[in-house]
Parts: sequence; structure tokens; C-alpha cells
Amino acid sequence: MPNGADTHCPYCALQCAMTLTPAASEAGGTAAAPAPSAEPAKPAMTLEVSGRDFPTNRGGLCRKGWTSASLLHHNGRVTEPMLKGSDGVHQPISWDQALMLITSAVKETQQHYGNDAVGVFGGGGLTNEKAYLLGKFARLALRTSRIDYNGRFCMSSAAAAGNRAFGVDRGLPFPVTDLDTASVILMLGSNVAETMPPFVQHLQGARDAGGLIVVDPRRSATAAFTSDGGGLHLQPTPGTDLALLLGISHVVVHEGLADAEYIAANTSGYAAVVRSLSSFWPERVQSITGVPANLIRETARRLAQGARNGGSYILSGRGVEQHVDGTDTATAAINLSLLLGLPGSARSGYGTLTGQGNGQGGREHGQKADQLPGYRKITDPAARAHVAGVWGIDESLIPGPGLPAVELLKSLGQPDGVRCLFVHGANVVVSAPDTNAVVQGLRSLDFLVVCDFFMSETAAEADLVLPVTQWAEEEGTLTNLEGRVIRRRRALTPPPGVRSELWLMARLAEMLEAPSTFSDHPETVFEELRLASAGGLADYSGIDYAMLDRGEAAYWPYPVGSTGTPRLFADGFAHADGRAVMVPVTPSKRAVRSFADGSLALATGRLLEHYQSGAQTRRVSELLASQPQARLLIHPGTAATRGIADGDYATVTNERGEVLCRAELSNSVRPDTVFLPFHFPGQENANRLTEAATDPISGMPEFKTSRVWVRKAVSTQDLIPAGTRLPLHVKEAS
Amino acid sequence: MSERIVVVGFGPVAARLVDELLPAVRTGLVQLLVVGQETEAAYNRVMVAELGVGRTTAEALAMADAAELEANGVDVRLGVKVKRIDRARQNVVLSDGTAEHYDRLVFATGSRPVIPNLTGLNPDPSGPVLPAGVTTLRDLRDAAVLHSAVAEGKRVVVLGGGVLGLETALAASEEGARTTVVHNGPFPLGRSIDRGSGSVLTNSLRAGGVRMAGNARSTGVETAGPGGSFSALLLDDGSAIDGDLLVLSCGVRPRIELAEGCGLPTGAGILVDHHLRTYHEPHMFAIGDCAEVRCPDAACVNCRNASGPSGLVGPGWRQAEWLAEYLVVLARDGQAAADAFEPLPKEKPGVVVLKARGVNLAVAGDNQADPWDEELLEAGAASGRARRQISQWADPEHGRYVKMTTRGGVLEGLVAVGMPRTAAELVVLFERSAELPADRSLLLRLDGPDQLDAGATSNDPQRTVCRCAGVSAASIEDSVVEGCSTVGEVSKATRAGTGCGGCHEDIKGIIEKHFQAAAA
Repeated sequence: MPNGADTHCPYCALQCAMTLTPAASEAGGTAAAPAPSAEPAKPAMTLEVSGRDFPTNRGGLCRKGWTSASLLHHNGRVTEPMLKGSDGVHQPISWDQALMLITSAVKETQQHYGNDAVGVFGGGGLTNEKAYLLGKFARLALRTSRIDYNGRFCMSSAAAAGNRAFGVDRGLPFPVTDLDTASVILMLGSNVAETMPPFVQHLQGARDAGGLIVVDPRRSATAAFTSDGGGLHLQPTPGTDLALLLGISHVVVHEGLADAEYIAANTSGYAAVVRSLSSFWPERVQSITGVPANLIRETARRLAQGARNGGSYILSGRGVEQHVDGTDTATAAINLSLLLGLPGSARSGYGTLTGQGNGQGGREHGQKADQLPGYRKITDPAARAHVAGVWGIDESLIPGPGLPAVELLKSLGQPDGVRCLFVHGANVVVSAPDTNAVVQGLRSLDFLVVCDFFMSETAAEADLVLPVTQWAEEEGTLTNLEGRVIRRRRALTPPPGVRSELWLMARLAEMLEAPSTFSDHPETVFEELRLASAGGLADYSGIDYAMLDRGEAAYWPYPVGSTGTPRLFADGFAHADGRAVMVPVTPSKRAVRSFADGSLALATGRLLEHYQSGAQTRRVSELLASQPQARLLIHPGTAATRGIADGDYATVTNERGEVLCRAELSNSVRPDTVFLPFHFPGQENANRLTEAATDPISGMPEFKTSRVWVRKAVSTQDLIPAGTRLPLHVKEAS
Repeated sequence: MSERIVVVGFGPVAARLVDELLPAVRTGLVQLLVVGQETEAAYNRVMVAELGVGRTTAEALAMADAAELEANGVDVRLGVKVKRIDRARQNVVLSDGTAEHYDRLVFATGSRPVIPNLTGLNPDPSGPVLPAGVTTLRDLRDAAVLHSAVAEGKRVVVLGGGVLGLETALAASEEGARTTVVHNGPFPLGRSIDRGSGSVLTNSLRAGGVRMAGNARSTGVETAGPGGSFSALLLDDGSAIDGDLLVLSCGVRPRIELAEGCGLPTGAGILVDHHLRTYHEPHMFAIGDCAEVRCPDAACVNCRNASGPSGLVGPGWRQAEWLAEYLVVLARDGQAAADAFEPLPKEKPGVVVLKARGVNLAVAGDNQADPWDEELLEAGAASGRARRQISQWADPEHGRYVKMTTRGGVLEGLVAVGMPRTAAELVVLFERSAELPADRSLLLRLDGPDQLDAGATSNDPQRTVCRCAGVSAASIEDSVVEGCSTVGEVSKATRAGTGCGGCHEDIKGIIEKHFQAAAA
């Protein structure tokens, strides 16, 4: 039986190293970890979390990590398969029954409506093994093309831009510790101080040099680091990041700050980009973005200066990527970095900060609608042949490309759409755009299966909920934000009724008479993943568990016989000619929308205490106590105009839905913008207001610039009826 | 057979049109001929002054590449003029003697600088011959003339207090030339700004090293320089302003002769309707500086206050984008579909942000009313429409001035001098027709020194010292009282400082404070 383990945090892509040790008995004195209050008396072994030294976190953890073990024995945990009865109440059934039900639902659906009427929605938190096997399971066992995942809401724009420019997409193409010596770091729409706090250590050098430049419409915790000489904060109005980046690039070109030698030797498309920048002089960009022209110039000059002394890095985050022009915005950031000669140089670079725990690995091995393992394209005949070979099947058995996430969700219950859906590691009822429509879609399904460890908002909609293992109960690998493959290790035995998703897929594949083999053993699956990825862009073929267990730092591509690739691009880019491609981009016309009639721009984002849809962190009492509810951040001036005082309930509405929550007055937001965290369900769910419009290249939805109207909640029906004052998620945990 | 579109002119607005039409050219939906009079393909004329003072290069100004366009199937003729248009045959007759057929024709002929009526200058607008040392500022050759003067630190006299004149003078001064702006009226920029901002602006320009000669009426140029070149600008009071280079910056006039020559109706510019079609000839269009959007319908509300071309490039680019879409619909789906195409939205009044480093100015809309001008404020406030309101801030000593003219909380006019963040915010609010906060002073504080630092340390014991772990100052103090005396011990006991480590100094401070107090 396992007895503690060296592993990594269950949450974000920084994957902080931690050690889980069996806790001393209850009388364990002043131990910092407050006992998980939700779990009064259970005989099961409890685990204590401690930070472990590792280059990304250097022993540091944030509150989410410190409290992560409290979910292992949470009393809200699902420990048996749960079937929804005709009364809408979930009742436990046996695993045998559950598997039978699924098998017949799949068969029946496909008989009536075709193979593509069964769909799979995956997650960026799944291990590499699960993500890989899920792609294989969908295509060979379910014989459907309809698989995509929540990374579409996360990394798709940056990934598409990276592939287009560099020929490869690895979030950070360098170890995160390279940032330590930089003199300038430009953070684009990334609030690491809340989303991955231990990362902030790597910004210290730039802060000390006065070179931290943060672009964020909000004076976020990260933006506040630019105070006291730490650097600059640029506060564009939401949806105008692309124009801002063009303005900075314009200054680089016109003031002769570009690295001509680098451009000539390493890039193509320079002249066309210069022409596209000509019309974005700083004063014009000021009119679009609200960022003063002198700050735009200053930013360009500092970046250029940094590139020559100490190093300059440009890092992009969801703030600039989660837009209908997210791919083009990320491309503009890449163009800027190429003009300055950053990517691939020894002390400078460009990168995107991956969000979800396995957001990197999860986007490489076939969970995406258009993808096969090793970051291969499903439409590429050579890729299909290779993977078919590894799977030992005829290539024709692999379906073609499916639908990206938003389209997939829009197709639920529609004619020719998906009628039977599997959800793994995602809580779309909270995290997808336009959630009112998503809920409708889920309710119109013939059969919905959700794998989760809690009765998440999406699980609550399911016909069948399957209890699966948590991070500390399983073995596997993840690929962190640097493209480094790391080990997740089992520290304790899962509760008796809980199964791993590998086991589930293996059993179902058998019952559905799938070709090829489906192992439920993580290391065996990884061995297969190695072969399937060999020769692909994300080549893992030289990596094995033994090596990872020895603590070797394995960065992909890691072909057999190599020593891996901590730094990409040192010998050129992944296009045939070795050059990076600069693609001219311009803002969509959407950027200059009218905000007449008192409407405001709504940006959504994160809080330090919560992760993603909050399905886990809202169940940690310490985190929930700190952030129990969504609060609408609104500028005091904007609030005053609407008669809203701090703590008042406010409604936020648009044509898609309404959110009711308390207002928090703060100078940290622009007067034309309000901010809502998206971790909360029900009437506090920010994604009731976001639009399912998507980027034409990446399929990324528009999360950051919805048009909304805000007013004080006055009528009695706006207010939550007495007796149910606390939202459901608050009640469960308290 | 695909439609042939001929674009007359190849400036920045034509370049945008060509860019937008390129996909349709590649697929063969339309054929495109672009005729440009200059030998260079389109470049960003808006930045010619920057080029003239040596702050950028001609290469960086490029907006199109003729060879690349040709490779994509566009027929590009540079250094060629359209001599006349034969509407009956739908031909353009070119200066190289050829004639080219068109199915659709787009005028993008732009405008030319106004040559003022001064003794010593030939006022003929079609072929001005300027003496040495006198130049306009419109094209690359003009920029080269200015550049040699600036590079040699010469005396530059700018005639005209418009945006281009001010930008040129200020930039030339910053780059080492001695510059004078000669303008009529008490302050530059005429009626687009008010007296307060005009006065603050004048002082700021002076502080930037520019000599300002206001209320001046010029009558002639003296050409007593070497080789008969410019030596002084003569004023009507008998005085003279000496200089080595005279830059004429007296506004522009739409180039409409071609349209006039073929009988199309013109006003200040070529008259076009909301589909940018010339009157009576729906297959001819005009965009940019040469176009005057004013439809033939006398009752049209949108055209009631229409003025001539704005002289700004933004509206031209929006017209080009719109027209490209319209032309593609027309070519692909036919006239009925094109008729159903949403007409060009009405332009808001233009925004001007001075392209300058030392002086910050933004201006838009109507700024004439003062807070107590009942008549101006009530104007247009009929039938339930709110009256205008003015908010104003003047601090001439420190070179700052802001006026906001609003109706129902939405800006109708703004002017801001010396307040960059305020200016940037106001312009965004104006462009989006967004409502201002009721407390307008919020918008004035953005440039205050207090805005730079929100992170002032507080002594509140409940304040969060460690954000990562969520530990308050009070908990840290408690742990120190209980015996922790190093950051490491505090971290172990409270988890403070165990995330990003950014609060270590803060924790150290709390420990030191405790022991100092104990020692005292």
C-alpha cells in the first residue's frame, strides 16, 4: 500500500512539487494545515502537504496547493456510480450495471443516429496517459470523430499562433528559471500573482531591474508589482490588446529598435508585417486602447534595451488570448518578439503561460478534434499511418477531424449533433461560454455520462455519474508549462467504489469490441504513448517512468537516443526552412464597438483561492471561507452613477443571461469595465454572459469582452429568497 | 467574366481598399487595376512629418508593395496619371497614352496642399512652382527637403497652425531646428479648440522650443537667400520672420478635377451617397480625402450636418474597408444583394491626437461652449433630448487643461492638454459613446502622482501580508509572540512566505518591530 509520495500539485500548469505524507494522528499539535473541517471522523489515512524543492516552485506553494489534500476525504465525494432516476435524484448502482448502461446507450445511439452522435468532452487536467487514451477510446471504441476538450477555452489561441509562427507549440520554449536573469519581462494579460503565485519568484529579477511591464485592463495583483519602480502597467480597455501590440511593434520598427540581423537570418514575412504596422502609430493606438502614446513608446524602448542587456521576455496569458481575435493577438505578440530578436536567443524569449495542470500535455496527444498523438494532424496521411501502425489497426478506422469545443457543445441534441456525451475532467456548466445554452444542450441529450470525484454542476446534469480517482490516488505523468514531463505519484489508496478512467476506458473498449488494446496500467499506456508520439512534434519516445523517477528533467521533443530539449529554437524553428513566420495581423472591426446606452465591458478571470470552475476549490472550506461568492469588481465612479454601494447586490445582464452577485468597489478596474471571476455556479456564473462566438482559427470563445448592463438589484425577486441565502456550493461545504 | 475595378490613386486609403480586395483578386472574382501618380506604392502619408525630422525611414512608412501585388494578380501602374475618364465608353485614359476599361471605378485621388496667396508664390493649384526653400509637406520629396533643413539645424518657418503644422514644428524643434509657427487668430488649431486650451497649448509649444507667432497675416515671401531661395516670410504689419525653410501647412483641398472633368457632381469633394456611389453613376465610387459623403436626398437626417472631407485618414480607411466588402458582394451576388448591404455607418466627428513627444493634446467634437453659455448649452436640447453640460479643469501654470462637453453623460466634445492618461481615457469614451462617471473629477485624477502607486503599506493588522497563503499581519505577529524569530520559522508556523516569497521583507519587518518593541 502506498505510504505518501513525492508528487505535484493537482491544480495549475506550474505543477508545484509537493510531498504528501501520512498525517500524524489527530492530536498533531500546531501543524499549519487546519484540519479539513468538512471531514469530521473517518478512519482513512489523511495526508499532509509540504512544498518540495523543484525549479518551478522552489518549495513554494499557494493556498490552493496547501489545502489540496482536504478533498481526498471530503464528504461530498462521489464513491459509487450514480444513476439519475425519473425523479431526478441520483441513486447508487453497481459498476457492472453502469458499464452495461453505457454500452447499450452508445450502441443504441449509434444505431439510430450514426457514430458521430456519440461525443467526448475531455479536460486539460487529465494526465498524459488519460488524455492519450481518451483520444484513442473516442476514435476506436466509440468510433466517433466528436472529441474535443476544455483546453479549447484555454490554450487554443496561443497554440494556433505558436504553430503558425514557430511550427511548434510548447508553452514556454525554455525552462522557467531562464526568466530569473531577465531585465525586462512583458506580461500580456496574465495575472500570475493569483493564478500561479509561486511563479512570481521568477519575476523578481525583472522587478529589481524596474523592467516588469504588465498589460492588463485591471490593476491586478501582478500589475501592482510594477509599483515602486518595479516597472510599467499598461491598462488598455478590454478587447484592444492586438492594437496595443501593433502600436508597440510600430515603435520598434520606426525608431530603428528592431534586430535587423536576427530578422534577416531567422524569419520570413518581415516586409509584409512592417507594412501592416505602418498605420498603427502610437497616438492612433492610444485612441483605440486608452494607453497613452508615451507609455507605448516607453514599452518598446525598454524591451529593445532589455534585449541588448540582460534579456527581454514576452509572456502571454489568457487575458489577450481568450478573444475572437485571440490567435491574431498572440501572433502580434510573437511578431513583436521576432522584431526584437527574442525567440531562440540565449537570454531572451517568447512564451505563453499554460493554465490547466496538464494544459500542455493535454493538448498534444489526441484529445483535440483535429489531432493525433505527438501533436500530429489527423488529416495528415503520414500521421494517420504512423498512429494506425502503433495501434495495430487499419488506418481507415481512424475517423477524420471532429468539431472544436464550442461547436461540439452547440451540436448537443441537435439534428446530426451529439446525443450521447461523455465528459471527463471538465465542468462545462460553469466554464463554457454562454452556459445557459450549454445547460439546455446537456438537457436535450439522450444520455450524459460524467466522470468526476464530486457532484459538480455538470455531474448534476448527468444521467450517470462515475466516481474516479483524484490526483493523490493515481500514477501518471503530466507535462508542465515548460514542456517538462513530470511524474504524478500515488500516495494513498482510493475509496473502494472509485475507479481510474483508464480502467473505465479499458472495460468499455472491451464491451464495445474495440480494435487494438486498452490497458488500465498507466506505465503501459505511457509506453504506448511513447511509440505513438515518436517522430511527431511532441516526441516523447525517449522518456520513460524510470528516468522520471530518477528526477531527470525531460523536456520534449525527446526522441529516443537524445537528451531532450530544454530550449527550443536554438538551431532554428520547426518550419521546413528553419525560419519563424511573421504573419501580418490587424484588429477585427469588433474592437471598435459602441458602448452607448450605459453598457460596460465585462472581463472574466480568476481569483487566487479558486481553480477553474471551482468544482474542487469551492469544496475546500479554507478557500471557500476566504472567497465564498462571486463579486463584481466595479469602479467606484461607475458604481456611484448606478447607485451601487460596496457590498450591494447588483445584476449584470445582457441578451444571453443575467448574473446576480455582490458588488465590490475598486479602483483596480477601469471605469468602463467590470470584472467577474468565473469560478462560481448558478446565478453567480459569469459565463451566463459570455458569448459563444469563436476565433476563426483556434475556436477560442470570446471570454474577455462581453457587453453588459449593470444595475443595483432592487426588486424583491432579484434578491435571493430567505432561507436559501447561501448559494448551494456554500451550503455543501459548511 | 469577372468585373474589372479601376482604382484611381494609390495613397493610404487606396492601399487599404486594395488589401481588402486582394482575396477576391486571388480567386479571380474581380480584376484590379491601380493607377498611382507617385513613383512609390502607397505609404503612410500621415507620418511624413516624422520622416521629415528623421524619426523614421521611408521603408517603414510603406503600406503596399507593388511587386507583391503584381504577383497576386493586381495590375499596378506607378508614376502614371489618369488624364481623363470617358464615361460613355467606361475607359480611363492614362498619361502613358493607353486607355483601360473599367466596370467599376473608385476615385481615391486624395487631396493636395493649399498654396496660399502670397506674393512670390505661384498660386496655380494645378502646377505650383515653389521657390527653393519653400515646401509643402505631403509626399516623400517634401519630407526630404524638410529633413535636410532639420539635419543642418536650420531655421524653419511653418505657416499654418493646424495639426500638421504644429506636429512638424514641434518635432523639428526637438530634433534641433529653430522653428517658428505663424498662424492667424490668437491660438493655433482654430475653432476645433477653445480659448483656454488654445492658450495652454501655445505655452506648451513655446516651452517645447517653438516660437509662436499668432494673430499674424502673411502677405509674401522674400527670396533673398542663396540662389534666390527663401529668406523670410513677410507679414501685413510690415514685419518679417526670417528663416531658411518655409513649410506651407495651410490645409488641403480635395483633388476632384478628374471627376469634375467627366461631369460628376462635386461639392468640396466628389459627392457620394451612403454607398459611396457618385451621383447618377452607381458604378463609380469615391473614398478618402476626395470624397464628400452627402446623399442626394435633401431630407436625409444623417446628411443634415454633413461637412466636406475631414482630412483625417481614419474615416477613409473605414470607407475603404466598407467599399471592399460592398464591391465583393456586388461582384459575387449581384446588384440586389449589394443594395441590401448595410450602408456605411455615419462617421463620428474626428478625433485628433497630436503626434508629438513633448506636448500632449487630444481634441474631438465641438468644444466651443463654456459652462455658463446658456444659449450654446440649450442648443439641440429639444423634445426630451438632454441639454449639453460642460466640465472643465484649467491649470495653466502647469500646462494642464481639460474640457468635457457632454449630453446625457456622453461626450460630444473633448479637449485635453498636458494630461496624457486623461486624454487617452476621454478619447476612448468618446469613440465608444460610453457614459462618463457622474463624478467627472475621477477622469482628471488619472495623471496624478497618487495613481502610480496603489500599494502603499498599511498598518492594519488584518491586512494580508502573504497573499499566496492568505496570512494576515496579525497571525504573523502572533507567531512571533509565540517564539518565531526568523522568516523561516514564521513560514513554518503560518505558511506565510511559502508561495512566491514576495512578502519576506514584510515578515522580517514585523519580526524586527516586535523585538525592537520588546527591547525598548
